[in-house]
Amino acid sequence: MNREISAEQLDNEIQRMMEAGGRPDECSNSLTCLGAELRLLPSSDFRERLRDELLVKAEALEERVYSDFEFRTQSSELPSLAQREFSMLPTDPRSFLFSFLSHAVAVVLIASGIWISRAPIVKKRPLTSDLTYIAMTPGDQAPHGGGGGGDLSSVSPSRGTPPKFSNEQLAPPAIVVRNPSPKLQVEPSVLGPPQIKLPQSEKIGDLWSTNVTIPSNGLGSRGGMGSESGTGLGPGNGAGFGPGSEAGLGGETFRPGNGVSAPHAIYDPDPEFSEEARKAKHQGIVVLSLIVDPSGHARNIRILRALGMGLDEKAMEAVQKWQFAPGMKDGHPVAVQVNVEVNFRLY
Amino acid sequence: MRTLEYEPDERLLIEAAQSEPARFGDLYNRNFDRIYAFFARRVASRDEAQDLTSEVFHLALASIRNFKWQGAPFVAWLYGIAANVLSSHWQKLGRDAPLEEEDLGGMSDEVERNLMLGQLVNALPPDQRLVIARRFIDQKSIREIAEELGRSEGAIKQLQLRAVVNLRERLGRKK
Repeated sequence: MNREISAEQLDNEIQRMMEAGGRPDECSNSLTCLGAELRLLPSSDFRERLRDELLVKAEALEERVYSDFEFRTQSSELPSLAQREFSMLPTDPRSFLFSFLSHAVAVVLIASGIWISRAPIVKKRPLTSDLTYIAMTPGDQAPHGGGGGGDLSSVSPSRGTPPKFSNEQLAPPAIVVRNPSPKLQVEPSVLGPPQIKLPQSEKIGDLWSTNVTIPSNGLGSRGGMGSESGTGLGPGNGAGFGPGSEAGLGGETFRPGNGVSAPHAIYDPDPEFSEEARKAKHQGIVVLSLIVDPSGHARNIRILRALGMGLDEKAMEAVQKWQFAPGMKDGHPVAVQVNVEVNFRLY
Repeated sequence: MRTLEYEPDERLLIEAAQSEPARFGDLYNRNFDRIYAFFARRVASRDEAQDLTSEVFHLALASIRNFKWQGAPFVAWLYGIAANVLSSHWQKLGRDAPLEEEDLGGMSDEVERNLMLGQLVNALPPDQRLVIARRFIDQKSIREIAEELGRSEGAIKQLQLRAVVNLRERLGRKK
């Protein structure tokens, strides 16, 4: 028991401290100082009250965001002013005016050619690169692989990206690690040709899962991530990735039409001219066949119509960098086979 | 047997709150204590600390869609808002004190101590915890507490002494 102060003395000091509105740095002994610190703890219902307030506001915010589009289209103000209410810091209307004027000046300069004339003239730049679609036999060239798994969790696998493909799978993909100290540290992978490249991140998971909050390996079994069985990842069976079974990248390949929307390029940097073609003033069209996978990347790129002089390779190189909005079927992204025309034309 | 405790990825919580603001509650639960502690050490009263804490979370909720993940913890963003809120608050009060580095950094030793104190109060024996809550947080007199708990004023004072001494010792051990 404390010997330096009695219960009575302490209470007297605490009472004085509280009446004086004492701060932790304005008290006489360590126990009273502690009392002053305790005075500053939040009241018991504050945390819950504030949380309730925020949740009510969040619901209102959701409704407002949904009606925001309508608000903007009806508003006589421009969008940046209409969003003022969502801004953390007050918006200065002058900055909007300045932004508008500087953009207008930039547009006029570009349109007048002043800026363009200062840039190096690129004659090797192709004019167009268009997408066209061809009919294909269903199932032709379609990959049949796939994978899945899980650890009998009660929720679907969490969203993320698959690990790399490997010809030999030493460790299955998992977001919830059951063995925190394995004897041998091995990078997880899915079974399939290592040439298959999919988007990578530190978070392993199913690209299209709706579970973005709860870490889970999924409802399936045998150790991977998914809803069926296997050491792979996805809604299939096996050690690969995607729907289907056994290994590799699963999922049927579709063609545009009959409920399947066509993919379209959302990032399509122009291909470069090869040095040889530029010197020879060689131009024309390269036709490529490719599959736009559900993540919007081009794979299985093949040359259907070659142009030569290094332009075919340049076309493939460029298309590999393109990012597509994938084709959709029943609201889900699917792999769609398309043809791409890359038009190399010299000015 | 070792149990694995999985800390949900903060980034996923942020993304969930951005797409569905009603999910902001998870971020609030994780960060409330730190933001409150940030203000408790810098303002004169609990009411002020509560008002400013409330302002920070309201602003954060309104701006959550603008938050861009850059690898820093979410609380660092909240501290940035808190520092702005505190600065505005001081301007309104006519206080001309510039924010110090620790005000911007947020996680000073004092904030850590405040956090720890709240956790230690929760770990006290139930009767001591109740006396602390009534006396310091609800600011009731010893007599009012004695009446509520049906015990003598002397017993309540003893409980108060034991609780405060307990807290001081545990704080000392944790430091």
